Parts: sequence; C-alpha cells; structure tokens
Amino acid sequence: MSEVYSVELENVVKRFGSVVAVDHVNLKIRENEFFSLLGPSGCGKTTTLRIIAGLEEPDEGIVKLYGKDVTDIPTYKRNIGMVFQHLALFPHMNVFENIAFGLKMRKLPREEIKREVKRILEIVKLEGLENRRINQLSGGQQQRVALARALVINPEVLLLDEPLGALDLKIRQHMMVELKNIQKRVKTTFIYVTHDQTEAMTMSDRIAIMKDGRIQQVGAPLEVYYKPSNTFVASFIGEAVNLIEGEIKENGIVDTSLGVIYCSEQSAKGKVAVMIRPENVEIDEKIDGVDNLFKGIVQAAIFKGSYIEYRVDIQGITFIVHKHGEENLGKIYPPGATVEVGWKKNSSLIIPVQS
Amino acid sequence: MKVIRSFLKIFTVMVFLFLYSPIIAMVIFSFNESKSLAVFTNFSLKWYEKVIANPEVWRALYNSFWVGAVVTIISLILGLMMAMAVTRYSFTGKTILESFILIPIIIPEIAEALSLMMMYIFLNIPLGPVTVIIGHIAFDISFVTVVMRARMVGYDKSIEEAARTLGANELQTFFRITLPTLYPAILAAGLLAFTLSFDDLIKTLFTTGPGFKTLPLVIWSYAARGGVSPELNSLSSFALSISFLFAIFRLRAERRMGR
Repeated sequence: MSEVYSVELENVVKRFGSVVAVDHVNLKIRENEFFSLLGPSGCGKTTTLRIIAGLEEPDEGIVKLYGKDVTDIPTYKRNIGMVFQHLALFPHMNVFENIAFGLKMRKLPREEIKREVKRILEIVKLEGLENRRINQLSGGQQQRVALARALVINPEVLLLDEPLGALDLKIRQHMMVELKNIQKRVKTTFIYVTHDQTEAMTMSDRIAIMKDGRIQQVGAPLEVYYKPSNTFVASFIGEAVNLIEGEIKENGIVDTSLGVIYCSEQSAKGKVAVMIRPENVEIDEKIDGVDNLFKGIVQAAIFKGSYIEYRVDIQGITFIVHKHGEENLGKIYPPGATVEVGWKKNSSLIIPVQS
Repeated sequence: MKVIRSFLKIFTVMVFLFLYSPIIAMVIFSFNESKSLAVFTNFSLKWYEKVIANPEVWRALYNSFWVGAVVTIISLILGLMMAMAVTRYSFTGKTILESFILIPIIIPEIAEALSLMMMYIFLNIPLGPVTVIIGHIAFDISFVTVVMRARMVGYDKSIEEAARTLGANELQTFFRITLPTLYPAILAAGLLAFTLSFDDLIKTLFTTGPGFKTLPLVIWSYAARGGVSPELNSLSSFALSISFLFAIFRLRAERRMGR
C-alpha cells in the first residue's frame, strides 16, 4: 500500500552562516492533513516552511510535492499558497484585487476570476467587501483576505506562518475553529507553523515538534501529550509536567532520588526520566489503591478556576498536582499541610532524557 | 513664561518676514506699471507681455523643461537602484557607498560645478545640453536616493514573497508589487529632482556650451546685464510660480507617502 504524501522532506539541511537552522529534517505530510510545525522561536519551523515554499533554498536534501521533486523549482511555479505572519497583503490593491492576483498571474479569463473570487469570499465569509481598501478592514478581516488570496488559486498545499499571532485572544480562538472548518471544506493540506501549543493541539491532525532545527516527535495531539518521545517534548507540551530522573532497576521500575517509582512501560535501559502529568496525581490526607505513594508538604495552592494547582515538596523535589472536581474545590490544603501524593503505575511513563 | 512665548512668536514672524518679504515685493512689483522699483503706481501686465513676447525666454523655458525631464528620469532609475541596493543587500563597501551618496549634497555646488567643468575640458567633451544633464544628474541621484531609502527602510519584503507564492515571477513582482507600492516615494523623489534641475544656476552656468540656456541662465544674464528691472521681476515671478507648483505637487505626494 502506498500512501499519497502532499509534501515530503528528505534530509533537508539549511545553514545560515555557522547556525544550522534546519538539521536533517525528514517529514512525510499526508494529503489533506492539517499538519503543524510546533516549537519555540528559533527552532527552525519557519525556515522549514519557507523551504517548502521555495522562498529558502535548502543546502542539502530534497523537497517533494505530490511525489515530484521540486527542490530546484522556483516558488512561482510550485502551486503552493502561503499566509504570512504579517499577512503581506498588497497595500495598493483592494480586497478583490488582492484575492484575484494569483488568478491573474495564471491568466484566467475575467469572468472566471470574478466567479472564483466570489466563491472564496463566501467560504471565508467576506461577501460584499470586494471594493474595500486593506486599511479599512479589521485585523480579523485582513486575516481572511490573506487566507482567501492563498486559497483561491487551489494550491496543492497551504502554508501558514503563525497567521494568528497578531490577533487578540477572542478573535484568535474564533479563527482557530474557523480555520479548521475551512480546511475541511476546501480539502487541502494545511501546514501550520506556530509556537502556540493550544493552536497546534486545537487544529492539527498531526504535530511535528521541533527544537534546534531537529524534529523531536511527530504525532497526533493525544500522542505527543501522553506519549512524548523525550523530556523536551514532555515539558514543552501541556501546561505542566513532573519529570523525575532516575535509572531503570528492572522492568517498569525506576530508581529515583525519591525512591522506587513503578511505571507502565520499560523497554529502555540506563538513565531515564519518569513523566507524570499533574492531572493524573491524587492528593489527599490518606490515599488508597495507588502504586506510587509519597508524603509531602504543601508549598503553594493556587486556585485556577476549574482546578487547584498544588506545589508539593517531596524530599526537596517540587511536585505539581492538578486537582479537579467541584467537591475538591471547597477543601484546599493550605501551605504547610502534610499530604499524601500518589498515582497508579500506568500514569507514570518512562521516557528518554533529552540530550 | 508668557513673555518668552510671545517673544518666540514675534521672532518667528520676523524670520519669515525677512525670508519672504523680498519675494513678495518682487512679485508685487512685477505687476507695477511704472519702471520704478520703489513706488507702485498702477496694476499692469505689460512686463509679463514683454516677457511672453521674448523668444529667448520661451527657448530657455523649453530647454529647462526637457533637461529637467531627462534628468528626472535618469536620476530616478539610478537612485531607485542605489536605494534598493543599500536597503536590501549587504556587500563589502556598503557603508562607504552610503556616505558617498551624501557627498554631493554636502559639498559646495560651486566646487562641484568647477571640477565638473575642468573634467569636461580635460576629457575634451564639448559643452552643451549633454554636459548640463550629466551635471544635474550627478547631484540629483543623491537626493533621489535619500528620499527613496527613507521610504524603503521600513519596506516589508514579504509582500514580494507573497506575490511569488501566487505565481508572479521576478519581473512581474517588480512591476506589479514593488514599483506600485513605492509609487508615492518615486513621485516625491521625481518632483524633487525636477525642481532641483529646473532651479539650478551654478552648475548649468559652468557646464553649458555656447547658445544653450536654461531659464535661470536667462534670468541671470538679464540681471548681470542691467541690474534689476520690472521685466526681470516678472520673469523671476514666472519661474518662481513654476517651481512653486512642483513644490506643491511634491508636498502632496509626500503626504500620501506618509500614509
């Protein structure tokens, strides 16, 4: 069985002077997938996107679009769409002219251009604004024009470079849902670059997490959250995480500075880290039926709305616990209280320490 | 405080009076019927009629216009290229080049004019319209580059990249995106270049050949011949109004550029 990949990167390397921005990246992005490149700033995600667009030339490696090697093909012949970080709308053109630009370059007849622009304006919900100037639009509307301009040419792949960064929170949340809906409607591969894990988690089918020009992990949102491939991914994804370093003693048992921790998995050897998500940890005066149980002293209890975040000192290590549920919110352990902290063995995961 | 402020107000008004009253007087007396430069007798257009009837003025005006047009076009092309080079690329000698651009603005025009003339003579280049044009371009590119560079420093290159992702090649991108977005700056720089060329006396004087005169040269030769006269007043007012018109266009273009 051979799957169709819209974009393939094979051993792509890009250097800027002595800095390796993209370091032997391999990616296979499926057809019509919503794929995110996620990572802290300077991790090479935008450079990777620009290499796919042809705006940046890789020093090594191959770029393929639908199986075809496009490494040496200039941007304007690639049939990709791109939404830029600062939108890059043409200031001397109105909404219609902006959107029609790509179609004009493709020398489509006038009537067809009109029809296509109308069709796309409907999808991005901007009907009736054809004659507006760009500076007469709100941030959200400009966003939609940029999207429409890139989508109207029916690109094989749509590349988005942190397009929501400039919008305020409420519009951003709204646009996230909308983007996903538009993607389903137009049935195109979306490659989305962001440093915001909420955006990546909300919209993506799969996420690639990058650091220092290297791909750390590729997987579905659930996968990268619950089965991070290393400690970097574990701490980068999610609001908080407990990571305790130790050494494998025997199958599923790790010797740490806290003592022995029972874990679900094993296959690794030598130095490892144990990851425990804070929402999987119980906290109480007395806990029964857990595999790992520690005594600790509450350092801080922070009310966060739907849950309480506890910082518990266990033998000098700060442990984070998120306690959900209405019945618990009334009963907050004050700083200084002695509590028991515990979790089941399948809530602690052995992961390799990131070198 | 109040005293200082009213003093500053009066001072400002005085400065402007000092600067502009001679020009205003010149314009007013160009409409004087009598030959007197002291007493205004009656309103008359007769000096203007005299100017208009003078074929030498028309020839000079024509020369000024076409020289200005050629100078403007060539300076714009060269200045745009220079501004693009220094704002977009890094290369060895860039800082030196950037200060070289400013030199023609800083050094005295007379020194530039004299050295140009000496060069022409040394190289045996016959003096005439071509040498005048080269001389004008030599300092107009500096002004054009400075105006363009100011505009291009904040230029967002990603709109050109956006055009490329939409299927435009380099040439299409330049003519459909780069040039139109720089249009207000090009207009402002062009009008500045034209005005500078149109008003120039010193350089033209040193680099022109026999028989080739621009409007400032004609005015100057009248003044040199017979001192001030009402006819000269009207001729100068005429030249002034043309420059003024271009200055207004330029200010409007600059205001649009600021937006």
